Amino acid sequence: MIEIRDLNGDLGDFKLRDINLKVNKGEYLVILGPTGAGKSVLIEYVVGIYNPGSGSIFVNDENIVPLPIEERNIAYVPQDYALFPNLSVEKNIAYGLAARNMPSKETHNIVNQIITTLKIEYIRHRMPLHLSGGEKQRVALGRALATKPSLVLMDEPLCALDENLRSNMAKELRRLQQETNSTFIHISHNFEEASDVADRIAIMNEGRIVQTGTLQELMENPKTEFTARFLKTQNIINAVTDGINIQINNATLVKKSCCKGNVIAAIRPENISIINDSNNNEENVFSAKIESVRLKPYYTEIIVNSVMPLILYSKNEQKHRPGDTIKIKLPQEKIILI
Amino acid sequence: MFGERTLYKLFFYSFAVLMFSYSAYLFVSNIDQLSVNREAVETRELTDVWDDERTVMNEFAGGFWKDAYFWKSLNLTLIITLITTLIVSLAGIPTAYALSRYKIPGKAIIEILFSSIMVLPASSVGLCLIVALNHGPLFELQKWMGFRFAHSIFPGMIIASIVLSFVFGVSAWKATFSSINPRFETVARSLGSSRWRAFRTITLPMSKGGLAAGIILAWTRTMAEFGAVLFFCGTFAELPASRFSDLVKFLKIDQADWLSVAVWSQIEYGNVEYGFALAYVLVIIGGFSVYLMHRIGAKGYIW
Repeated sequence: MIEIRDLNGDLGDFKLRDINLKVNKGEYLVILGPTGAGKSVLIEYVVGIYNPGSGSIFVNDENIVPLPIEERNIAYVPQDYALFPNLSVEKNIAYGLAARNMPSKETHNIVNQIITTLKIEYIRHRMPLHLSGGEKQRVALGRALATKPSLVLMDEPLCALDENLRSNMAKELRRLQQETNSTFIHISHNFEEASDVADRIAIMNEGRIVQTGTLQELMENPKTEFTARFLKTQNIINAVTDGINIQINNATLVKKSCCKGNVIAAIRPENISIINDSNNNEENVFSAKIESVRLKPYYTEIIVNSVMPLILYSKNEQKHRPGDTIKIKLPQEKIILI
Repeated sequence: MFGERTLYKLFFYSFAVLMFSYSAYLFVSNIDQLSVNREAVETRELTDVWDDERTVMNEFAGGFWKDAYFWKSLNLTLIITLITTLIVSLAGIPTAYALSRYKIPGKAIIEILFSSIMVLPASSVGLCLIVALNHGPLFELQKWMGFRFAHSIFPGMIIASIVLSFVFGVSAWKATFSSINPRFETVARSLGSSRWRAFRTITLPMSKGGLAAGIILAWTRTMAEFGAVLFFCGTFAELPASRFSDLVKFLKIDQADWLSVAVWSQIEYGNVEYGFALAYVLVIIGGFSVYLMHRIGAKGYIW
């Protein structure tokens, strides 16, 4: 198990503040955040590139902060993979084993096993210069996994790949992590990428971990407006609640809650439904005028003007045009109060 | 019609051919003087050489390869250059690595100092060395140790030639190390490699072209040294044999001068052809060093 406790770091123009994070053995954690949030810096502290000002990092109950990089048993895959350009694919994978003075026969067996698992037999003797982005990524991962590290840290591993390859490689990463039962921390700024691979997600912003949880927990219960926005909850507005109803602009929505006063109300676009029955008078049903319609690969994005400007996703075949008036429902249980 | 690269090549090779042709012409145009006065060679006495240099020294013009002074000077230059290059490489490569990788207090001052030395005339470096080593505590230390740095072959010439060679070498090596992403070493270390193993197995092979370029740059810069050696060490040709140590005599570098100093002194004493011949030898050694640099893969590091 990996546990980061009260980690603080100061790199002059950038600061990490009160980082607390737990990663269980065999878990795949994605640290998600916008560019400049401090994700890469955080894993550089874990790798050992920088010494933290305070705090500790426990790997299997041992504080690794005083240890040099080579004694931490944490494999690091940087954004550009940093494959050693002077060594072939095979030698890159065997590098960490050679550093541990492993007998050549054993090294050969492990390298073979990794090459088979990663399906890279055909590039075994190639030099990194002649590899594609996806191949480089596999080799870097193979090199990291060969030494059976306590933790694999990957800095934006899918960022250099094109869209189609990214989705396939994300599945591949997940498969490898599960097959080898390794503990992975993966840095990303891409919500879809995180949702493809993560057991849990830690949201990071301005040098702090804002919230940690499974994808579902984070989507259903974001604790800050930042988390809600970052996880693409696009409909966010200031509201006032009395514990039973919430007041948005001049409209009243039914939403029972434990708090009273000013809140931020949010609802995800996919949770707003279009009601076909124009006489439906259920709670939280409002008429809305369509402002724009945009066709996306798996759904239609509709921007409407209702109790507030809203974005909603429609999956039905019915064609909507700008200017049409429709009825929409904002289900009470899907409204989030922050 | 021509690419930029082709034009550069064309310019460089034309310039090189012109240089070589012209110096070869000067050399060959004095071919009539190639017949060496054997008697003069054999009976040459240092004391006589300077008495009537026009009549005695001119006998050697064109026949320089039969003159012990030339061979001893070449020997001296090659030995000192080799020692200097070795010292500069051993001290300069770690220095360049440290300057490129670590936060060192006063790093900016070191870099400014290095750049300043690079643009200083070599003669000023020689004068600075005299001021630094012939006065004050360093001079007292030499007295206590029983020898003087200035006006000596060992270690005077080495000290004089090291300064500029070190600065040029370090700047080339530092540029090489700075061009290699430190992430490679971090990844190597995260895989369990020690700092030294990461350097030896990753950074060193990746930087071999640049390191070789730096070594050859240090070598050629030392070979071309003039002002610092002349000002700090002077000439040795006229000194009596008794002034030289057994080691110097054993290495056959006694009563000899640094090649570029020899070029100057020969021309100064009116033996223009001899001076040109020595300069021609220096050009050939320099050209060969640069060719070697290209052959071992350091192309692109210097120009």
